Amino acid sequence: MSDNLGFALEGAWKVLFAGLVLGAGLPLLFALGIRSLAWGAGGEAEVHESGVTGPKPQPIGTVLGWVLFAIVLLGIALGITFIVASGFGKALSFEHIYPTIIDKH
Amino acid sequence: MTQASVVLALVVVTALAFDFTNGFHDTANAMATTIATKALKPKTAVALSGILNLVGAFLSVQVALTVTNAVVKIQNSNGTPKAALVSDGGSALLLIILAGLVGGIVWNLLTWLLGLPSSSSHALFGGLIGATIAGLGWAGVNWNGDGSKLDGVVGKVLLPAILSPAIAGFVALVGTWIIHRITAGLAARYTDQGFKWGQIGSASLVSLAHGTNDAQKTMGVITLALIASGDWTDTKNIPFWVKVACALAIALGTYLGGWRIIRTLGKGLVDIAPAQGMAAQSSSAAVILASSHLGFALSTTHVATGSVLGSGLGRPGAQVRWRVAGRMVTAWLITLPAAGVVGAAMWGIGHLIGGLAGALVVFAVLVAAAIGVWFRSRRAPVGSHNVNDDWDPVAAEEPVPDAVPVHAADVPATLPTPELTKGRV
Repeated sequence: MSDNLGFALEGAWKVLFAGLVLGAGLPLLFALGIRSLAWGAGGEAEVHESGVTGPKPQPIGTVLGWVLFAIVLLGIALGITFIVASGFGKALSFEHIYPTIIDKH
Repeated sequence: MTQASVVLALVVVTALAFDFTNGFHDTANAMATTIATKALKPKTAVALSGILNLVGAFLSVQVALTVTNAVVKIQNSNGTPKAALVSDGGSALLLIILAGLVGGIVWNLLTWLLGLPSSSSHALFGGLIGATIAGLGWAGVNWNGDGSKLDGVVGKVLLPAILSPAIAGFVALVGTWIIHRITAGLAARYTDQGFKWGQIGSASLVSLAHGTNDAQKTMGVITLALIASGDWTDTKNIPFWVKVACALAIALGTYLGGWRIIRTLGKGLVDIAPAQGMAAQSSSAAVILASSHLGFALSTTHVATGSVLGSGLGRPGAQVRWRVAGRMVTAWLITLPAAGVVGAAMWGIGHLIGGLAGALVVFAVLVAAAIGVWFRSRRAPVGSHNVNDDWDPVAAEEPVPDAVPVHAADVPATLPTPELTKGRV
């Protein structure tokens, strides 16, 4: 019982950490992307006082928004790679910082 | 056809039936929030989830033959059945598996009837534990493992059941709060379009992960039965037809859509907004993937429910229906013992009658229970047509007649009539 509790808490911290980075971090980037696109689009995208025209469009915002979306897509691609790789008895390794596919030990 | 092969066929059919219930019970985990926020039409959502479950099931070439070892001692560590259980042509082991599966299915059907998202893996494990206790005694259950790793009923089932919803809920809470902070002040029609795609993407990821995880369990159980009866010997591979059959069963179940559970999770627990839906699904996907990467066993259902609850706590002003949450937690707590009691009773019946007749009676009980639950569900059907109706019927205007358990079917006047006869599950 106490052994199991120790193992479980040890695993739980890792899951919590990974969950926060991927499960809250990617949505954060995604939300920033939406914010940037709205900034880029200007006008009616943001709530503003009625009767006046909205803020001016900022093209850099559009670019920034799509860059952020691309990062999120990469994160999702990593998730799918992980599912496929573990299905075929492989694992993702982060020992070189960037992910590589290795044999599961 | 010998008696043994008829029993084997019953076990295979029952296992596929369990896989099927596993599918429709868990559609909600991936798609409830996507349907509730109207990011996808109900039918589109379940079709997408079904296809991704099918793909996921085929991606899982890893052999999950030792799946029962987590909770019961009916297999050796290399996956072969214990010799003592197959001395009589495998019938002792087959009866335990059959009784366990029936326990799991019956509990899945009852919780579906009540619209409660309970864990299918807990139902399966509960049934197997009950049947094993009845057949082999308390010592037949792997309660705590051997202390070298996270194992046994405590390590693989109970502790993750407490920890995983809390983790997922916290991640979803943080995610929801951040998203709302960042997108505050943007026009809703502008943000909702973005969150729609965020939800579809994250829900798809959950569906795919579900197919790889859950279909494997049934594949392992069927292969174990085949080995016990001497029809298969290879412990490194699973027969191809088993893989195809399990993949199809879970995908069809998912496509059928457990609308009652989708309704509870999407509308009942929290009134969910698009940003929350995205946060909840992202949290579920991340926690499920991280856990399977780290070998931390968990139930998709517990994670998804924790996430939805967390997203309700994270949005300023959102309301969580704690009574619904309380009912769910109660269902989680009793899933394992309840499925266990059914599994044990089934083993008792099968053993008392004995042989082929015993297995047939157990199977007949399952069929009768399934038909009974189905007829009971017709009294207040929930389907793609009314899955998104308001949880609390328009109580403000007029007093609602006697509440129906699912609050769904007693407002037919407001529903588009052509849809009434379609897609009810």
